[in-house]
Amino acid sequence: MDAAPTAPETIKEAERQIARVPLVLHRRNFSWLTERISGVVEQPAPRWWWVAFTITGSAATFGLFCIGYLISTGVGTWGNNIPVGWAWGITNFVFWIGIGHAGTLISAILFLLRQKWRTSINRSAEAMTLFAVICAAIFPGIHVGRFWMAWYLAPIPSNWAIWQNFRSALMWDVFAVSTYFTVSVLFWYTGLIPDLATLRDRATTRVRKLLFGVFACGWRGSNRNWRHYEMAYLLLAGLSTPLVLSVHSVVSFDFATTILPTWHTTIFPPYFVAGAIFGGFAMVLTLLLPCRAMFKLHDVITAQHIDKMAKIILLTGSFVGYAYTMEFFIAWYSGSSYERFGSWNRVFGPYWWYWWFGMLFCNVLSPQLFWFRWCRRNVLVVFFVAMCVNAGMWFERFIIIVGGLHRDFLPSSWRMFHPTWVDIWTYIGTLGIFTSLFLLFVRFLPMIAMSEVKTAVPEADPHYTTPPGIQSVSPGGKERPR
Amino acid sequence: MSERSQTVPTPEGEYFESTRFAGLSFLLGSVALVALVLCALGAVVNPHQFSYSWLFAFAFFFTLCAGCFFWTIVHHATDAEWTVVVRRQLENIAALLAVLALLFVPILLLRHHLYAWMDIPPGHEAALDFKRAYLDFNFFLIRAIVFLGYFIVASQLLRRFSVRQDRDGNPQFTIWMRRVSFASLPMFALCLTFGAFDWLMSLNYHWFSTMFGVYIFAGAAGSSMSLLVLVITALRQAGYLKDVVTLEHYHIMGKWMLAFCIFWAYIGFGQYMLIWYANIPEETQFFIARNTQSWWALSMLLVVGRFFGPFAILLLRSIKKHPHRLCIVAGWIVFMQMLDMYLIVLPALHGTGVHVSIWDLLSLIAIGATLGFVYLRLVPRTSLFPVRDPRLIESLKLVN
Repeated sequence: MDAAPTAPETIKEAERQIARVPLVLHRRNFSWLTERISGVVEQPAPRWWWVAFTITGSAATFGLFCIGYLISTGVGTWGNNIPVGWAWGITNFVFWIGIGHAGTLISAILFLLRQKWRTSINRSAEAMTLFAVICAAIFPGIHVGRFWMAWYLAPIPSNWAIWQNFRSALMWDVFAVSTYFTVSVLFWYTGLIPDLATLRDRATTRVRKLLFGVFACGWRGSNRNWRHYEMAYLLLAGLSTPLVLSVHSVVSFDFATTILPTWHTTIFPPYFVAGAIFGGFAMVLTLLLPCRAMFKLHDVITAQHIDKMAKIILLTGSFVGYAYTMEFFIAWYSGSSYERFGSWNRVFGPYWWYWWFGMLFCNVLSPQLFWFRWCRRNVLVVFFVAMCVNAGMWFERFIIIVGGLHRDFLPSSWRMFHPTWVDIWTYIGTLGIFTSLFLLFVRFLPMIAMSEVKTAVPEADPHYTTPPGIQSVSPGGKERPR
Repeated sequence: MSERSQTVPTPEGEYFESTRFAGLSFLLGSVALVALVLCALGAVVNPHQFSYSWLFAFAFFFTLCAGCFFWTIVHHATDAEWTVVVRRQLENIAALLAVLALLFVPILLLRHHLYAWMDIPPGHEAALDFKRAYLDFNFFLIRAIVFLGYFIVASQLLRRFSVRQDRDGNPQFTIWMRRVSFASLPMFALCLTFGAFDWLMSLNYHWFSTMFGVYIFAGAAGSSMSLLVLVITALRQAGYLKDVVTLEHYHIMGKWMLAFCIFWAYIGFGQYMLIWYANIPEETQFFIARNTQSWWALSMLLVVGRFFGPFAILLLRSIKKHPHRLCIVAGWIVFMQMLDMYLIVLPALHGTGVHVSIWDLLSLIAIGATLGFVYLRLVPRTSLFPVRDPRLIESLKLVN
């Protein structure tokens, strides 16, 4: 057992396997990074961008039309019924809130853990977070039917005599999500300031110079600027970290505080948080893999980054599988006939394929491919699993919500849920809004945090000296083959 | 700023001189022997009380050792650097799980005093008949063998590979340890969870919580990091690891203590709040037993002492970078972990209020002294840190 092979080639291979790989490949220097990342914003939009934006913009527009139709006509345009209620809206709300988790995890928790690999992906993940939360916020706003009364959700002075129910988990949700959104915006914007200044300094038109100049808040890159910036960033990371846990925990309270079978289970808070990070990372990969290919960012978003994200998906997906196991085991162990029926109904009831395909295959089994290195290193496999997880997490929310409601305590009240075309197109519309906003972000702001990536290259070390015979690659220099 | 220059030479291994501590070793061995004999007496004189006392002490030390095992596998699975210099002590403490497996035997022998479900014949209680397939002694025994067997095999394997690497520095061992750790992660989650269900949750077979396994894990991870701080500081106090473990390492250990202090509170609050809010009798009974009578005061102490106090203190960097101050917090957290286990186990016996027994103390001393004695026998056998680990230099150069 203790004897390891000592042949030189075996040792060499082992050393190769454990060697640290640079986070930016091919010795790209500071200048190359600035040129390549700013170039995405400064060059004319490629044709594929216009095609994609037309499609997503059309979906978003039709989604907004559906919302207008809902508000003008009434909630009867949705497939809501008794006992299921507005299941579609809640499913979409939870789905989008979940997507919005990876950004803050990457920007805050990975920052506190000193994980430098986050620098290549944090900016776009944070932007994605904001857009996902915007999509999520649409649903509680419009489900009330009388959309113009949605301000009742906001904190209101008591002398207005509008008595909100602070004992309701739905009310806690409003506070949790709005706090999360506010801090995420601040965090994202703070990180953007040095890069906005870079774009300002490179701007060739007055309008760009003015706009980037205003938003760069007079950044000069001085020692004092950096000192304040880094302290602000650290404090925001500290503030954001509990928010990553709190938001989806509070969302899970919407369900777990009830006494409804399959909803009331104590593992819901960490299970929802893990599921959210799981779904969020899948969406980051879904968006970044095409961007990486289209904008030729392989040296910045490397196979190593994808590998690490795949490992996080494997970890969180396995925790989700653990939570499913606990739910089933305790439902059985509790001896409660309602809990047992609820679990059985989830697997063999009318929505059985949602469970088998969505929860089991997409969420638990497909990420297990990431145990194998070649799967984590194969972009097509990674993209396939990411798409499975995107779908699986939506199905999971649907089966939790509808599955818990459609079989009421009285069998005479049992009823299936059927979405209407307005339901379906509103959801597709939010997908359109999300992707449109992301495409606009990619076009108008640096999608990779230039200033942060530069801290991850060897030249950032003040003691760094270029090894003899090696030159870093400047923008005008000859590109090395990949 | 870093305490170290950019070029740190690889230090030679440091070895614990057992002769210097022969007195302590002898003392621990003697105390362990006497306490074990007294405990054997307790098992005869007052088996009902003793069985709960022993389970409490076992659960406390088991969570500490399993927590150290967790940090070892996380170190390998994440390819971490900072842990290298403290990893050997994690491995040494995790290796004590083999001793704990032996100390589990009294629980098996006294099982009828602990687990009421073992004495109720089928057909007498419908609520129990529902779960007979799981709550069955033979199955319980098989599960205990599998859980403890897994912990022993995995912890011994990791320690053996690590020690072997000290000799030749072969990087292949790093890869092997990584593989064992990857496979260990899901196994650890399942073994700890179902171990917690079997040994602790089934003390009251009516009660259930899906969060219980995560709750036990949260306490284990945080308190074992605190234990590590205590052990490392004790070694430094004795003159070892002075140039190896720096304030930067303390800072990180302090940060993990803070992180798991918050995580424990998050999990504990989630479990408590959801049960309190839903107010279903079969769930609330667990907390009613612990929130009434004199148990209430201990429960409040746990909430304040396990979360609010350490949280506020550990936010300060000056505490995290000061070994002795950090040790005070670490010792307190370990004490709170003991209280947590006490509050899980003993209210199942004393429903009318706190009833401290001499057997509680003797069980703690017996298991603690035994583990301490074995630990002192283990430490001198190897270098105090993995001297030829490929990531050692990076760990020595650590900057937060």
